[in-house]
Amino acid sequence: MNSVAPAADVPSALFTPPSRHFRRRLAIFAAIGAFLVAASAALKFQPWLLFTDFHYLVRLAGEMLPPRIELLWTKPSLYSSVAETIAMALLGTLGGASIALALALLAAANTTPHPLLRTVVRFGFGAERATPNFVVLLVLLIAVGFGPFAGMLALTIGSIGMFGKLFADAIEQVDPAPIEAIESVGAGRWHVIRYAVVPQVLPSVVANGFYAFDVNLRAAIALGVYGGGGLGFELQLAMKVLRYQDVLALVLLVLVMVTLMERVSDFLRRRILGSTASL
Amino acid sequence: MRRPALVALALGLVVYWAAAQCNVSPSELVDGAVRGLEVLVFFFSPDWHALPELAGPALVTVLLAAVATPLGVALSAVFGLAAARNVAPGWLRTPARMLIGLERALPEIIILLLLVAALGVGPFPGVIALALGSIGMLGKLLADSVEEIDARVLESVETVGATRWQVIRHAVIPEVLPSFLANAIFRFEVNIRASVLLGAVGAGGIGFELSKAMSLLEYERAMSAVLLTLALVFGAERVSDFLRRRVLDGGRLR
Repeated sequence: MNSVAPAADVPSALFTPPSRHFRRRLAIFAAIGAFLVAASAALKFQPWLLFTDFHYLVRLAGEMLPPRIELLWTKPSLYSSVAETIAMALLGTLGGASIALALALLAAANTTPHPLLRTVVRFGFGAERATPNFVVLLVLLIAVGFGPFAGMLALTIGSIGMFGKLFADAIEQVDPAPIEAIESVGAGRWHVIRYAVVPQVLPSVVANGFYAFDVNLRAAIALGVYGGGGLGFELQLAMKVLRYQDVLALVLLVLVMVTLMERVSDFLRRRILGSTASL
Repeated sequence: MRRPALVALALGLVVYWAAAQCNVSPSELVDGAVRGLEVLVFFFSPDWHALPELAGPALVTVLLAAVATPLGVALSAVFGLAAARNVAPGWLRTPARMLIGLERALPEIIILLLLVAALGVGPFPGVIALALGSIGMLGKLLADSVEEIDARVLESVETVGATRWQVIRHAVIPEVLPSFLANAIFRFEVNIRASVLLGAVGAGGIGFELSKAMSLLEYERAMSAVLLTLALVFGAERVSDFLRRRVLDGGRLR
């Protein structure tokens, strides 16, 4: 022990001599730093560009100001773009949740008809979760063409993996007592699911559904940029023709829309989950 | 949920409205499913010769996420602490909270589009967009977990005469570090996915190769890129599982 004795007037809690622990931490930070430098070099990522190229950012900001807010009344098609984006996220969430709930019944140990089926469906969920939404969208654009329909389908398929895993896990954790009670009066599989399983997992389905809607709304904007229609597509068009004042107006519109929808879904979630007892 | 019939009706109306917006109809859905499956058939034979060419772009995608994550974590730590009611002064907290909220409402792709418009395409805007994109999620989670710290813990350190920095260093950080690190490791997974997506807009990497192959209708090459993407995402999950096990031990630091 070669520790330095703390000075008498300093409480020892606030004075720790450099220890093995400290040296280990220093080594970790040094390793992270070395990795960052090496990776940046490999990427040709030059952090100082942020300062040397800062005037480009300033110039862009100058070109974006003032935002062309009058688009709100000179371009009525904006409202249908907002509606498209919200509708995409909504249908994607509801569609994905419905399909996932049906599949989750096959993927949960206590409701599946066959263990092998459970493995297959769970693997499918995992594969879907690993596939970025944007890959699904690219395939759909070729299949059904550009527009919100492709975006909606991509979000539907893209929600299945996440929902399916959550729902299957929720079903596996249900309290077996009601199930046994219903089985004991001779109910079949469907009645058990309808009266013992579904009521128990519904709160988690609802709560996760609202969360997924918030995620999907942002994803709907991103997918729109690639041709999924809606606000994202408008934004990308304005970028392409360098109308930066329109771009800023659209960005502000995105901010307002996302914030408002988050408030709405928060409010609804509290309304619904606050009274699940009477379900 | 007292009136299931009313809820079902409202839900039905909302779905009907949304379906009209997206031109969804049963016949369209059936058509779309059929055509989707038809297109999928084209992908069935991945072009194995393309894999070596795609290895470089795949590495770019990984490095983008790997560089952006620590940068984002550092930024989030600053913003998260500045936004917490019990450690930051009032004049700092409001703007920090506002900026975090602003970033949460702004999808990464918009940040990237703006950066690409200003600085051109390449890894630089990609890294910055991903790093900034981490602030909304990690900063908010950190600020919330700092605010949940028991006030008595902070007071006990303050009574000894600790300055604000010493309180943060000795009472706040030990308390929130495990959950913050867990979130940071999870953010790495998110960043890998986002890195693929942003690549297609102009950050380069496997996402760019994929969208290029798609637009040229080179399905076999696109399939190879998709398989590589899946490998990256699975790999990232393995890496972050490993890191979680190394760093955290049942909610505590190792």
